[in-house]
Amino acid sequence: MTPASIVAAQSLAALLRERTVLLIAGIFTAMVLVSAWMGWSATATVNGIYADAVIYLQSIGQPVPANPLGQTSALGVLRNLTVYVSLIGTFAAIVTGQRLIEADRRAGVLPLIAARPPARMTYVAGKMQALALATAALVTLAAVISGLTLVLLPAIAVTAGEWLRLGGFFLLSWAYVTLFGMVALGAAARIPATAGGLLAATILWLAVTFVLPALTGNVNPTAAINPISALVATPETPVFTILGTVLGPVSLSEAYAYLAAGLMGYLPAGLVPRGVVPPFLSLIVLVAAALVFALRSGLALDPNAGGPDA
Amino acid sequence: MPDLRSPIRIIARRDAREALRDRFLLVAISALSLAALVSLVTGAIALKGDAATYAAARATLLALGKDAAAIAAPEFWPLKLLRGTLEQIEIMGAVIALIAGYRAAVAERGRQTLALILTRPVRHWQFLAAKLAGGLMLSAMTLAVVFALTALVLNGISGVPLTLSDLGRLVLTWAAGTLYLTGIYTLGFALALWLRSSVSGLVYAFALWLVVVLVAPQIGDTMDPDNQVAGGVFASLQIPKAEQDRIKAGFAGYETFRNGIEVASVTKHFERLTFALLGIKDSYTGKPLSVIWADKKGDALFLLLFTAALGGLVLMRRINPDQLTQET
Repeated sequence: MTPASIVAAQSLAALLRERTVLLIAGIFTAMVLVSAWMGWSATATVNGIYADAVIYLQSIGQPVPANPLGQTSALGVLRNLTVYVSLIGTFAAIVTGQRLIEADRRAGVLPLIAARPPARMTYVAGKMQALALATAALVTLAAVISGLTLVLLPAIAVTAGEWLRLGGFFLLSWAYVTLFGMVALGAAARIPATAGGLLAATILWLAVTFVLPALTGNVNPTAAINPISALVATPETPVFTILGTVLGPVSLSEAYAYLAAGLMGYLPAGLVPRGVVPPFLSLIVLVAAALVFALRSGLALDPNAGGPDA
Repeated sequence: MPDLRSPIRIIARRDAREALRDRFLLVAISALSLAALVSLVTGAIALKGDAATYAAARATLLALGKDAAAIAAPEFWPLKLLRGTLEQIEIMGAVIALIAGYRAAVAERGRQTLALILTRPVRHWQFLAAKLAGGLMLSAMTLAVVFALTALVLNGISGVPLTLSDLGRLVLTWAAGTLYLTGIYTLGFALALWLRSSVSGLVYAFALWLVVVLVAPQIGDTMDPDNQVAGGVFASLQIPKAEQDRIKAGFAGYETFRNGIEVASVTKHFERLTFALLGIKDSYTGKPLSVIWADKKGDALFLLLFTAALGGLVLMRRINPDQLTQET
């Protein structure tokens, strides 16, 4: 075991005793469990409505349009997962990132760690490793639950290609939540006030999820909580075109929603992403930026600021 | 006989001074105003875009010698533009209220001053009532500024002056918002005060916020058959209203379940009440307040009971000074 792995292992063991982290992870898991049923139930209801509408339209001699749901991918029933990852999964990562630093600070062990031989780099790398592993565990749990529910739900047949794309979706989700966790870890390292890191990362997440999309064209904030409403075309006005071009590359929640819908097979045909930078590229660059921020903040951490008596 | 209200006034005044001194009030007002104005302005721009699209389509139809009545003109009701603003209050306003509640508890716990205060001739309920009064004032002031600003901007961008009736509806919306945010503030305050660690209280409060403000309305919203298809499933199938109702009746059980989840959230009651008051929901646009009150008094009552019940719980529960002296 490397020294960084020892730090990571100890941090993960401590995280398992954190009731707040376990609570958020529990809520996330519960919502993952019901999301497939919700998607399946809503899809079945729309199909039922369509069947009734067909009878009515035929009775009055009107042409029958195609089923507007037009859902071709079996993974579409999991569409609510994208919302739960971007709301609860992300918050779980933020709480985890903050606790990884703050727990040591509150316990008063940071000055002790700073007085020991392992380099600061070892400590920070261990903490970042712990965060990445914790979010990976959370996402893996969600993947296993989703896979099982897909197998158990009636009338759902998943092809090999769809299983692969589901795997891609969970990899994307892991990168997305870890990004916010890294921001929280870095913010907690820089801000010694008790809840400073938690609040800073939460405010950034709120702005990214509810304010940025309003500026780039998804006008109503609650569109962010509906996987279908989140995927609307930019209104055709010069203002939104300019704002979309400028802010699109940093509008992370929209990039995630777009990529996730593409992988899960419910992206509306012809919908173009915000801005000129492909969402995948945006996400990679921003994940890298979050990693650098966490690393630099961890290296700049003042072990004597804050503490149990602050 | 000693004036029992005096300690409440003193503590509330001290809290108000602190909120002004450390600029929390300023930051809270600025953040919520910014979010609210962004939503208002982008909503107005989107509507302007719709109007331009309609004008262009109408001109094309007329040039082709066709009847322009075939396309529906976008409706313009200034107060409808406040939809995004209300949604920002539901979400961002609730977060600010939670943080304010957390701060109100931590202000005493972190500095170990609460234990000291409780050694003075101050009753527990007086201390708690002062803190809740502070939350009520903070919510009222923040929303007063937000609504005053949005009303001003709305007047400017719509070009249609707000009527007295519009202003009255805004005042009622402000009152509903104050109740809603005070309830959320009380939740943040209570959890930060009651739990062994105030930070854990904040995290639990955020977890509740996720469930109450986002997840419960999300489940209701996302399970709505009309939200499964962009533009609505019935609109895309061009089914008349009467037939829609007949088809929906066949899915009454599903609808009851979906609605049941929605109404478990106080946020949804706030939304239903205020969307009706401002005519954002089409079926209430232009309707007199008496009609809206008849339909929505249940939502108003839920909002009132939610905040009053939380406040009552906080006032009734005695503070345990031994638990508060050590931040763990």
